Amino acid sequence: MSGLLQVKELSKSYRHKNYWFNRKKTTVLAPISFNVDAHQTLAIIGKTGSGKSTLAKLLVGAEPASSGCIYLNGQALQSASYKQRCQHIRMIFQDSGTTLNPSLTILQLLDEPLKLNTLFNEVKRKEIIRITLQKVGLLGDHMNFYPHMFSGGQKQRISLARAIILQPKVIILDEALASLDPSLRSQMINLLLDLQQQMGLAYILISHNLGIIRHFSDNIMVLSKGEVVESGITRDVMSKPQHKVTQKLLMNQSFQLKPKKA
Amino acid sequence: MNLLDIRNLSIELIHDDQNILAVDKVSLSMKEGEVRGLVGESGSGKSLLAQALVGVLDDKWHVHADRFHWRGIDLLRLSIEERKTLLSRDIAMIFQEPMACLDPTTAIGEQLTEAIDSSQLSGFFWQRKQQRQSSAIKLLHKVGIKDHTACLTSYPHQLTDALCQRVMIAMALARRPILLIADEPTAAMENTNQGQIFRLLASLNQLKNMSILLISHDLENITHWTNTITVMYSGQFVEAGTTEQIFNKPLHPYTRALVDSSPSANLHLPAKSRLMTLPGSIPILQHIPIGCRLGPRCPRAQKACVNAPSVTNFHGHKVSCHFPLTPLKKPSKRIIKEAC
Repeated sequence: MSGLLQVKELSKSYRHKNYWFNRKKTTVLAPISFNVDAHQTLAIIGKTGSGKSTLAKLLVGAEPASSGCIYLNGQALQSASYKQRCQHIRMIFQDSGTTLNPSLTILQLLDEPLKLNTLFNEVKRKEIIRITLQKVGLLGDHMNFYPHMFSGGQKQRISLARAIILQPKVIILDEALASLDPSLRSQMINLLLDLQQQMGLAYILISHNLGIIRHFSDNIMVLSKGEVVESGITRDVMSKPQHKVTQKLLMNQSFQLKPKKA
Repeated sequence: MNLLDIRNLSIELIHDDQNILAVDKVSLSMKEGEVRGLVGESGSGKSLLAQALVGVLDDKWHVHADRFHWRGIDLLRLSIEERKTLLSRDIAMIFQEPMACLDPTTAIGEQLTEAIDSSQLSGFFWQRKQQRQSSAIKLLHKVGIKDHTACLTSYPHQLTDALCQRVMIAMALARRPILLIADEPTAAMENTNQGQIFRLLASLNQLKNMSILLISHDLENITHWTNTITVMYSGQFVEAGTTEQIFNKPLHPYTRALVDSSPSANLHLPAKSRLMTLPGSIPILQHIPIGCRLGPRCPRAQKACVNAPSVTNFHGHKVSCHFPLTPLKKPSKRIIKEAC
């Protein structure tokens, strides 16, 4: 069995605790299975409430799954062992401004994952931070700055640095590109693509913007109400959407993209 | 006659040691029944410009203009009171961040009925309340809120962002304005809702002949809906023209970069190839470059760019650049000599 990240029958449901006799269960994510290879990008699209973000949370281990398992390189990930998981699966959030601690310098921010997950000494850690900052297009001296000194695009780069500093295999981008300005967004896409080639990263991209998905992803998965309604190679799905939900999503954007003909 | 004609509008932030020119000589003109897009990235001063238009900026900001005409009336000659009554009658604005703009202590219904002008109501005073209520419900239906009773009685924090945005649009439409300024009306919404709101605005434009100034940070989002587009960068005017001109034949390097950087506009690009982009990031207000503010990031920048370029007009396609991409005539030698 090949595949860097394998997900088998992963599901999530919440129980309402107040009912003694008729216990209610809400299924947020129906059992779902997929594979992601190295150097590949899987895009996930769907409306709000379709379970996209829940899936992201389950993958990074922010929430325990109700059933199913996740295999990384053929090895099952336990829901309790964060050590293994946070080294290999990292996440970038939508709003980088609020996910960086404003009272810590960049050095302290990036030092934290290294301290907790590796056995390097202080000199070596500083060295790694310097190299990582340069990798994402910042200067090594930026490590003594505080987050408020950076612009939005640079903050997003710092989030990316925090994600790649442990040499992960999988990065989850939960609407990470949505809040950026267009010229910075294309810079970020270029950077992400470069890193994917260099480090063999696998991305899981959750996004609304179909243009970016078309450009960026190899495979696509369409979620609706917690179920996968369509999945396949991006190009095929985009050109010939089979399911109603996909068609609706595509239609809603494609007519906005084309400029009017004179 | 132009609906709105602004020439060389500057907005200055009064600071203790130095004044910051946040918007530098921007011109904007709109015809009646036109949908104009105002595009710029964050910090480009597009929201400031809109706020200066409706006159809601506070005393920190100084606004100057060479010409400010509204339907042929010179607003600069009017007193502040007269200007206010005129503008509040004819112009309505949808503000960014609906959650922050709605009053959190008052129910939606009360805020919405307050916005309805009493000149629209007829009949005796005891009938007014009923009429206000029914027209508020009609407004909510118009913007696509079906459950009007729940919406009218709830407070802003009880509604989602998208619903609040719709309420804001309803409030803006309550006065039946001639010009609607929509400042990122769909920022908090997902695609399906975005389409609905844009369709609503487009239908109002066609049925009621309402002009719309559509402000957005993303060029690709609004091109389908606009007749003409003005592009701004860091407080300076960049380019203005019809949507086709801007999208298909951009003259300014910045507009070119904006169009090229959107993957959805370049379907011929192979997947995972590098996108065209400008190096560097948007300058912050304290450190604005002199001359053309795009200068440090511009691939075509030359010595002349330390002076701010003047606006050149190519058949209605205005561009503010010393070295436009496909010049119809050569850049005048005089400017280059002056710079050297």
